[in-house]
Amino acid sequence: MIKKFCRLLTATGVALAALVTLTGAATAQTPIVIGSKGFTEQLLMAEMTSQLLAANGFKPDKRTGMGSAVLRQALESAQIDMCWEYTGTSLITYNKISERMSPADTYAKVKELDAKKGIVWLNPSKANNTYALAVRKKDNPATAGIDTLSQLAAAIKGGKAITFAVNAEFPGRPDGLPGLEQFYGFKWPLDDIKRMDTGLTYQALRDKQVDVALVFATDGRIAAFDFQVLRDDKDFFPPYALTPNVRKEVLDKNPKLADLLNKLSAKLDDQTMAHLNAMVDVDKKSVEEVAADFLRSQQLVAK
Amino acid sequence: MSGILSGTLVAIALALWLWLGGLLPGIWQQAPLVEHLLWPHLYLVAVSSGIAIVLGVSAGIVLSRPRFRDHAEASMQAINIGNTVPTLAVLALAMSVLGIGSTAAIVALAVHSVLPIARNTFAGITAVPASTIEAAAGMGMTEGQILRRVEIPNALPAILAGVRTAMVINAGTAPLAFLIGGGGLGELIFAGIDLFDPAMMLAGAIPSSLLAIALGSLVGGLAKRMTPRGIAFARA
Repeated sequence: MIKKFCRLLTATGVALAALVTLTGAATAQTPIVIGSKGFTEQLLMAEMTSQLLAANGFKPDKRTGMGSAVLRQALESAQIDMCWEYTGTSLITYNKISERMSPADTYAKVKELDAKKGIVWLNPSKANNTYALAVRKKDNPATAGIDTLSQLAAAIKGGKAITFAVNAEFPGRPDGLPGLEQFYGFKWPLDDIKRMDTGLTYQALRDKQVDVALVFATDGRIAAFDFQVLRDDKDFFPPYALTPNVRKEVLDKNPKLADLLNKLSAKLDDQTMAHLNAMVDVDKKSVEEVAADFLRSQQLVAK
Repeated sequence: MSGILSGTLVAIALALWLWLGGLLPGIWQQAPLVEHLLWPHLYLVAVSSGIAIVLGVSAGIVLSRPRFRDHAEASMQAINIGNTVPTLAVLALAMSVLGIGSTAAIVALAVHSVLPIARNTFAGITAVPASTIEAAAGMGMTEGQILRRVEIPNALPAILAGVRTAMVINAGTAPLAFLIGGGGLGELIFAGIDLFDPAMMLAGAIPSSLLAIALGSLVGGLAKRMTPRGIAFARA
């Protein structure tokens, strides 16, 4: 009885080992792991990259839905091979630099600093997905007459109760709420700040549950929900150029990668991104469909 | 006794790990935010548990009535859906109907924790020996009096066990309310995950867990005290 069992066990073990070796040999190519954050633009970029790479002989593997800090950790520790990051995020949050620079200088600075960590910044796109604060254009007495962040700061300092919908990260980042408060010289009362999932801030503002919402500049819902973006008159927010980040080793092993990603990067700007985001968030099309249509229309993949 | 011993050992191990990992100062830093979020969190748990108890006990009693008993199992399966469907799905469904905010979160939490109460109420009442009911009827009690003075007191240990389970499930699930804008300690947990800040995460997770444990012990103690002596004697 036991002898039979042992024989069966050995046979299974040998079979498994053979299977693993064979599959290992067949798929000798290592996958390219694409990481991304959780909001629509990031999901679109991950999907577009995945489809683009697959059409060019690579094996993409997507890991989506991470917070910025987690994504950065994953890239630095080689758990992912690439992602699409924003220049300002790296400057202020990852590299802890507080001085503001032009978009070109911001890009140059993060490229230089991150190169030391083995992270290569490829060509930046023209899409600047900065943080912004938005209000409803009409029917809100709480924010009537407020068009700039200075005016907002003044109103809050003057004791006006203005509620703010933010995501989980913003109150914890130096280029987020703490930095904004310090820069404009005000303190938003804790009771007026409602934290929620990133995508829900738009709904909260539209449904009149808050007075101000944190938005991303290239989100299609700003136009669709008739929001007004408050002007950053003192230029607190840095430039946030959407750029591919790839680990140096991966780039060295796959030189074709740089060319492909740069080609995609060159096709993106604020309007294009807003349009693509709107198709997912407002028209409710799937991320896969929007990504595929875009790649085909830009002739990055064959029809 | 062994429960208290093992609980204390676990608490000591946790405290040691936190201290050695240097996480304690970080957790302590979040104290103002914890205090700010604790009351909305308690409100979520309290109201949703209250709704679940009222609905669950009522459903359990109604289904145990002789004319409904045969269809009880089918109805139980219907209630079971609220429990089997993944919590996130229940929250998302509530959000799509009621919009974001604490109302949707309360409804979702209540729906998710109704089953243990309903099932235990039903089981407790139907477990009352037929001889006891007959004796009560023989003494001239009406159906209503039998329910109030015989069935429910006998079923109380089972009902309270169901309430205890439901409240612990509820307190454990409440952090997810953050995802649909329901607020509560989940804010700290999810912010901690996104910002890769273990201290922040724990500052949210530890009070939530303590709440679940406290509620469990509270209801457990209440159950011991509320069980009429005659029943306790019979159970023992």
